[in-house]
Amino acid sequence: MPWAVVYYKAPDGTTPALQFLDSCPGKIDAEFTAVLDAVAGAPPPRFSGGGKWEAMHGAMGGWYEIRLTGPGREQFRLFCLLENGTHDQLTGRGLQRCAIAVITGMRKPWRTTFAERDYQRVRELGDEHRTNYPRRIAT
Amino acid sequence: MADSKMLDVSLHERRRARRMEEPEYRLAYERTARELAQTDAVIRDLDSLRVDLGISKAELARRVNRNASSVRRLFTASQVRPEFPLIAALADALGADLRVVRRPADARPSMRESSTKGRVTASA
Repeated sequence: MPWAVVYYKAPDGTTPALQFLDSCPGKIDAEFTAVLDAVAGAPPPRFSGGGKWEAMHGAMGGWYEIRLTGPGREQFRLFCLLENGTHDQLTGRGLQRCAIAVITGMRKPWRTTFAERDYQRVRELGDEHRTNYPRRIAT
Repeated sequence: MADSKMLDVSLHERRRARRMEEPEYRLAYERTARELAQTDAVIRDLDSLRVDLGISKAELARRVNRNASSVRRLFTASQVRPEFPLIAALADALGADLRVVRRPADARPSMRESSTKGRVTASA
C-alpha cells in the first residue's frame, strides 16, 4: 500500500486504538480496517471518503475520523492523524513512507454527543504522539 | 536515519491477516471494501468527466445550484456522506447517466453475505 497504517502507543505502553478496535463488534473492526486500507491505498486527496472517512473541523482541525454505525445504531469513531511530509521529516519520525496514525477511538449511543472533554482527551493523545521522534507506535 | 532505525509498521497488516481468518470478519471487510470502492469510483468518474469537459468545480456547483464548497468537498477527502441526489445532479449537469450494472453471477456476494447486487457507474 502507498501509505502505512500505524497505531499510537501511549507512554504507559497501552495502545488506545487497538484496545478500542478489540472492544468493538467484529464486523465494526472489519469495517474500520477496510476503511483504513482504502485510505492507505489511495490517500488524500485521491480518496473521496466513501462516506465513512471525514476531515474534522474546528478544534479538531487536522484530524480525520472514520464514522461507523453499529448494532442498535451505536456510533463508532476512530480518530486518525496523517503522517505526511518530506522524506527528511518522515525519516525523523522513523517512517520510511507516509502513514495514517490511528490514535484512539470512541463509541456512543445513537443521538448522543461526545463531550468536549472527550475530544480534548483525543487531542491530548495526538499531541503526545506528535512530540515523539521517532514516533512511539505499536509493533 | 539508517534503515535499521526505521520503525516496524507491519502490525496493521499482521493484525488484518490474523483477523481475516474469521469468516464473518472477512465477509464484513470485503463487503465494506467493495462499497468504498464503488462510492470512490463513481466520484472519481464524475471528477474525471468534469476535468475532461473543462468545467471548474465552481462552475459545476453553479450548474446544480449548490455552494462551490459542497462540490469541492465531494471531490476531496472531506465529504462524509456523499448525497445521492447531489451525485445524480452532478452527473446530469455533466451530461452523464448513473446506472446500476449487475455483476456476473460468479462475482456476486450471496444474499446472506450482502445486499449489494451491482455497481453504479457514471457514463456520458
